[in-house]
Amino acid sequence: MNMKKFKILAIVDGVLIVALVVLMFALKGQYNDQAQSSVKEQVGAYKATVNAALQDQWKSMDQYGMAWKLIYATVTGPKTEAAFDANVKKIFEDTDARFKQVSYMYTAASIPAQVQNDIAAVGLAEQFLLKNEGGVKEIACGKNCVAKFTFVKGKLKDSDYKALIEYKFAENFSIDAPKEFKFE
Amino acid sequence: MNIKNISIVLTVLLVFIAALVLMQKGNYVDQATEHYKKTTDASFNGGKKILEYVNNSVDVNKLVWAMAVEANQTVKTSQDMAKLEAKYFPTTKGSNSIANKTRRFEATSAYFIVSTFDKVDEDKKNNLKTLSNLKSIDVGALMGEASAPVEEPEGEEFEEGEEE
Repeated sequence: MNMKKFKILAIVDGVLIVALVVLMFALKGQYNDQAQSSVKEQVGAYKATVNAALQDQWKSMDQYGMAWKLIYATVTGPKTEAAFDANVKKIFEDTDARFKQVSYMYTAASIPAQVQNDIAAVGLAEQFLLKNEGGVKEIACGKNCVAKFTFVKGKLKDSDYKALIEYKFAENFSIDAPKEFKFE
Repeated sequence: MNIKNISIVLTVLLVFIAALVLMQKGNYVDQATEHYKKTTDASFNGGKKILEYVNNSVDVNKLVWAMAVEANQTVKTSQDMAKLEAKYFPTTKGSNSIANKTRRFEATSAYFIVSTFDKVDEDKKNNLKTLSNLKSIDVGALMGEASAPVEEPEGEEFEEGEEE
């Protein structure tokens, strides 16, 4: 190779090096932004999933607690439809007692007050009495849990809370492990 | 000769910089992945622990509720209660307070029920005192209103269970 060709090579190298350095700095900023937003977005999404699972459990525990209170009141009190309806209303509307009961359960499970407060921010369960048709009443006793009470001519004919007795908490409340990170 | 060396050095530098550019993304991906993993793993483990603790604790709560409901329908005496306790909690026994005519069953320190009876029966042969005529069951602890522990004066406490 003669000197002229080396000269051209050196110039081309020089130009390419400058171009690559410029590219490198441009990409640096881009990758940095991309990494930060990807992490923020995916960590945020995962934390929201975990939070949703915890809040789901909190609300279910509220329904669970209400269901037991109602069953207990039904077993120990008058077995009439009117008394049942009154109990459903009383239990559901007493939000202080509901909160106290769920919070007691969480404290018994050694969940610190601060953590409880974060979860409890979601509020209590919106639903308790699910169905009320022709003497057949269904109440929510937790996630995927329904207890059924049948009244005939205003008198309790049948209480079915097998679903609550056999309720498997571990099967209903779990969190999936985080997915692989995607650099997007 | 000089320009030849310069061009060789520049070519090597070019290859080096090109390699840096190519590897640059990988570094960011690694860093981001590491941060993501650390944060989400902490969230996963923390969340899982809360779910598990609550699930396990409420499993006990459920049994105590079921027992209290059944007791209200079937139990008449402290012996009946002892049998029911053994059915739900084979390893835990309740205790009678003859002075207060109560029987306290504690599944855990948080979950307990106190049954109040009307009468004290005494077996003349062995002086065994038992309670009968179940009046009510205090499920305050299950409702989150744990009442103050029942006072049991010394010497009055009586363990039941041997007769079963």
